[in-house]
Amino acid sequence: MEELKVAYNTTQFIVVKLNDEQYGIDIKYIDNIIRMQQIYRVPKVQNYIKGVINLRGEVIPVINVRLKMGFEEVENTKATRIIIVKLEGNDAVGLLVDEVKEVVTLEESQIDKVSYDKKEEKANFVPAVGKDKGELISLLDLNVLLAEKENS
Amino acid sequence: MDVSQYLEIFLDESKEHLQNLSDQLMILEQEPDNMDTINEIFRAAHSLKGMAGTMGFKRMQALTHEMENVFSEVRNNTIKVQDNMVDILFQCLDALEEYVDSIQNTTEEGENDNDHLVKSLQGILNGEKAGATPAKAEKTASAPVAASNKEKWREIKIGDTEVNVIKAALAQGKNVLGITVYVQESCILKAARAFLVFKALEELGEIIVSIPPVQDIEDEKFDLDFSLIFLTDSSAEKVATAITNVSEIQEALVSNFDLETAKIKENEQAEKEAETTKPAVVAKESSAETSVATQKQEAKKPAVSKPVVNRTVRVDIEKLDSLMNLVSELIIAKNSLVAASNTEGTRTAASEHIEYLESVTTNLHESVMKVRMVPIESVVVKFPKMIRDLSKKLDKKMQLFMSGEETELDRTVVDEIGDPLMHLLRNSADHGLESSEVRVQRGKPETGSIFLNAYQEGNNVVIEVGDDGNGIDVEAVKSKAISRGTITAEQAEGMSDKEIIDLLFLPSFSTAQKVSDVSGRGVGLDVVKSKIESLSGEVEVKTKLGEGSTFIIRLPLTLAIIQALMVVIGNEKYAIALGTIQTIEDIAPEEIKFVQAKEVINLRGTVIPLIRLNKVLDIESTQSSDENLIVVIVKKGDKMAGLVVDELMGQQEIVIKSLSKYVNKCKLISGATILGDGEIALILDTNTLI
Repeated sequence: MEELKVAYNTTQFIVVKLNDEQYGIDIKYIDNIIRMQQIYRVPKVQNYIKGVINLRGEVIPVINVRLKMGFEEVENTKATRIIIVKLEGNDAVGLLVDEVKEVVTLEESQIDKVSYDKKEEKANFVPAVGKDKGELISLLDLNVLLAEKENS
Repeated sequence: MDVSQYLEIFLDESKEHLQNLSDQLMILEQEPDNMDTINEIFRAAHSLKGMAGTMGFKRMQALTHEMENVFSEVRNNTIKVQDNMVDILFQCLDALEEYVDSIQNTTEEGENDNDHLVKSLQGILNGEKAGATPAKAEKTASAPVAASNKEKWREIKIGDTEVNVIKAALAQGKNVLGITVYVQESCILKAARAFLVFKALEELGEIIVSIPPVQDIEDEKFDLDFSLIFLTDSSAEKVATAITNVSEIQEALVSNFDLETAKIKENEQAEKEAETTKPAVVAKESSAETSVATQKQEAKKPAVSKPVVNRTVRVDIEKLDSLMNLVSELIIAKNSLVAASNTEGTRTAASEHIEYLESVTTNLHESVMKVRMVPIESVVVKFPKMIRDLSKKLDKKMQLFMSGEETELDRTVVDEIGDPLMHLLRNSADHGLESSEVRVQRGKPETGSIFLNAYQEGNNVVIEVGDDGNGIDVEAVKSKAISRGTITAEQAEGMSDKEIIDLLFLPSFSTAQKVSDVSGRGVGLDVVKSKIESLSGEVEVKTKLGEGSTFIIRLPLTLAIIQALMVVIGNEKYAIALGTIQTIEDIAPEEIKFVQAKEVINLRGTVIPLIRLNKVLDIESTQSSDENLIVVIVKKGDKMAGLVVDELMGQQEIVIKSLSKYVNKCKLISGATILGDGEIALILDTNTLI
């Protein structure tokens, strides 16, 4: 019984690093995590679309999450990863992140909803913050992040 | 009653019958004495009635029933086909279409009883029937002739458990009945009928044995009959009536089941004597059904002359799509082999296999494409009726000429093409053709002609929709455009007639309702254009004032795999659809001229604008400015443009992959493809460049 209860109230997140901050992405959306590979530029599109990659015969667009969230663009490093996510009913899309750190399991009590200031763009993407081992993890709402809302 | 699983079949079949009905009515209007046509209409009405009845659509059933009655009299020559009758029948057809639409949208047939139509039909029937003698006297005669060997339930073999059940039931004073039900040969939804029979029986008692098994019957795995052993409190007559109340049941043979004569699995020898006992045969059918059934049998003989219908297989489009994807993969694999063999030295052995693989993939591609191809007939068949209706409504005489209905297109394209074509035809009928008086004044035949021609031209299918009406008044369009502020007067001066006509396709232009009064054109043409373009096609207009206009639609045969020219710009690779390419030219820098500060070249007498793709696509070109330019000449309708590229890679068959919806702002790129070495090349949409 005890175990069953736990299973209902926890969520697993993949912790990624962006601009020296920690962000969590709900594991249920994640299809795959791949190393950096050749990205083919697509001309005349949104600036945060880095281009498209060939993932086993599928053409998948890659979004630079840094740019989408309003951070500076940085050089790719060895740690750079592309996280392939699939939202319900949508095509797969790649998210370019600085580093993938770990998987954490958070209980409901460890997650705090954020009451955000509407003026601040970034807050939209982060509806909640998780606390794990004394560290804070901003939990990304991919539906908001990937929704077509032009801010650049 | 759960018949929802048959709804889809019902809708499909109904539409087919309605279309058939419409076609035949068109013929009937021209040839009121054509017996084949009359028979065909009767059959269609009858099938519709039966299907509607099964599905419980009472209003639809009632209407088709009256239609059927009228035609059964027409067939017996007691009523002559007259013009007003055809009109009423067309109204019935519209009403039926309404029912079917409503069923499709809401699964309900709607509230409209169409009483006036039923009354008119009955009027026809009663008005003309006075002299007719009862022609269906012999109706009940044929039924009970070969009854005993038709009683297939006698062949049912029962086991111990059934014997025990039957004994118990007899002890309780119940009737044990053997039943054999014959479904009409023409019945379309046999399983549904059987289902209804079972339903009816379950209300009266209990079925203990069924041959073939219930599951098989539900899956339509039976011929025309099935047999049952049935326990009930009701009488055999009552059971028989219950069964024959289900429509399209030929007959139901019901009689007492006798344990003595039954075939019990252990002692099969005792079977033969069963034949000798003559049971009380009950073959009563409700009166309406009987006349139908007997007439149906009569109808069988002339039915031999029925025209051969296309035998088609309905394939789930998803299955085809997955097959298509597999082929796509195969082509990618082939491309990588090609790439590998080109880079490595060991060519000779591999190249043969590659050639083979190539021919296989090409064939496979072709055959899969063919599966997806359907004739545009399925779309255009409804047009003659539409023009007829429009002719009455607009009070203009007009006739539709169609050719090339057999031309085939990809299924997805055919599904989409109907609306634009209808739009264009309406335009022609409404605005293109002059009124009859004007036509006579102008020395044209009184009846206007509208034509729809389809044919294949290379890798494209061309559909022309035109009329011999007034044509487009360019001046009127021009002044309208200026007054609406679409263009300025100065701009108008510099525009060719063609450019002016193209204004009609602008959304801002066509939404204005007044435009049609002035120009006679422009109703929803932007919708037509955008639809066609979304199918990778193009629309063009040819018009001559006073003589008519023609809209020419060009559509690609296939959407998924195309032949393309691969080009390099800077360090990026792009594909240009081969179909749009005219020629490839080598141009020296000094041949470039300037017109209105734009670069053009004079190619064999034609001035063609140059488009530097590296600038359009924001790429650093690798070519220096004094080198000769490689120019790919592309065409869109009558317009041409020269695309400057850095390098040519060659021709390749490419699989089009769509860019995901996250990438949405680039109109220049129509998709992407994966090359043999895994690289991605983007596909240029040259239409947006010109």
